Amino acid sequence: MRLSVAAAISHGRVYRRFGLSPRSRLDLLRNLVTALVRHERIETPWARADEMRGYAERLIDYAKRGDKDERAMRMADFWLTEKDLIHKLFKVLAPRFQPHAGSYTRLLQIPNRDGLDRAKMAVIELKGNPLPPLVRPRRDSDRTLLNQLLKGYRQDAQRARGT
Amino acid sequence: VLVLVRSPLPRLRALLQRCWGRLERGLWPAVFGGQSPPWGPALAVQGPALVPQGVSDAGAPSLPESVVWMAAPKQRRTIEVNRCRRRNANKLIEIKRNIDVCPECGNLKQKHVLCGYCYAKVKEETRLIRMEIHKKEGGPFNAPTVETVVLYEGEKPTEKDEGKRIIERARKRPSWFVQD
Repeated sequence: MRLSVAAAISHGRVYRRFGLSPRSRLDLLRNLVTALVRHERIETPWARADEMRGYAERLIDYAKRGDKDERAMRMADFWLTEKDLIHKLFKVLAPRFQPHAGSYTRLLQIPNRDGLDRAKMAVIELKGNPLPPLVRPRRDSDRTLLNQLLKGYRQDAQRARGT
Repeated sequence: VLVLVRSPLPRLRALLQRCWGRLERGLWPAVFGGQSPPWGPALAVQGPALVPQGVSDAGAPSLPESVVWMAAPKQRRTIEVNRCRRRNANKLIEIKRNIDVCPECGNLKQKHVLCGYCYAKVKEETRLIRMEIHKKEGGPFNAPTVETVVLYEGEKPTEKDEGKRIIERARKRPSWFVQD
């Protein structure tokens, strides 16, 4: 019966390891969260973006409580290193995401980085940002079978309503 | 063979003669049955002179006795065997079946990845918009407390863009940046 944890097994661990130490990992993610709140769209390695996403969304959930909330203000103070962004968070982002229940960010993979490491890169952005959209939503062509059937059904319903 | 044994004891002499006779006829139990090798007088030499001198020769091995024997290939691997090993399925590069054509620009893209060309277009436009934002803000740490909207040449802010900060871009609106 194994009572101790072997060095190389990491079953069930959810947090990735970044940087030089756990504190360094948090500093790295904090910088990324600050950059996301400032620029609303950043391009970074996929693992860092994935790790940062949870922290960013929880920060917005805290911001939704309102800036009078003591815990929310302390969280924003820790996570945003540039203090003018605390104003932006509570006055711009919290009202923008008030109708949303969750998932305030969008994570999309982009082609591998051009440098020597060919790292897997991703772009993470806040929904509702003023920048040009990354992916245009495509509607299915009108010629597909389902769309033709639906079109016929709509015409029949219109004719029935007309007569 | 006539053996002359001159011993003063007659009994010993008789015994020796009988032993010799038995050896001659092959009836001695020490010799194996059948043909026994012909016995004959041989030169008796002293012991140490007959031992072969192989131990203290000059051809002693140069390796010490505690050498570790390593594995080494015995035969050259033929080119047929080498080809079988190098070209079997798990050593070839896997073929990718998730490559598609981007419907916007027609370049190739992987199914789960954004199109490189379209993303480069959007990235360039974003960079120009951010340059305008930087010019408007003037310095660092001046993030506005209102939303932002980007307007191109000849566009007026609608009633939805009431309290927002307006960023002007001096070009025609690109077709892929649809105004919401």
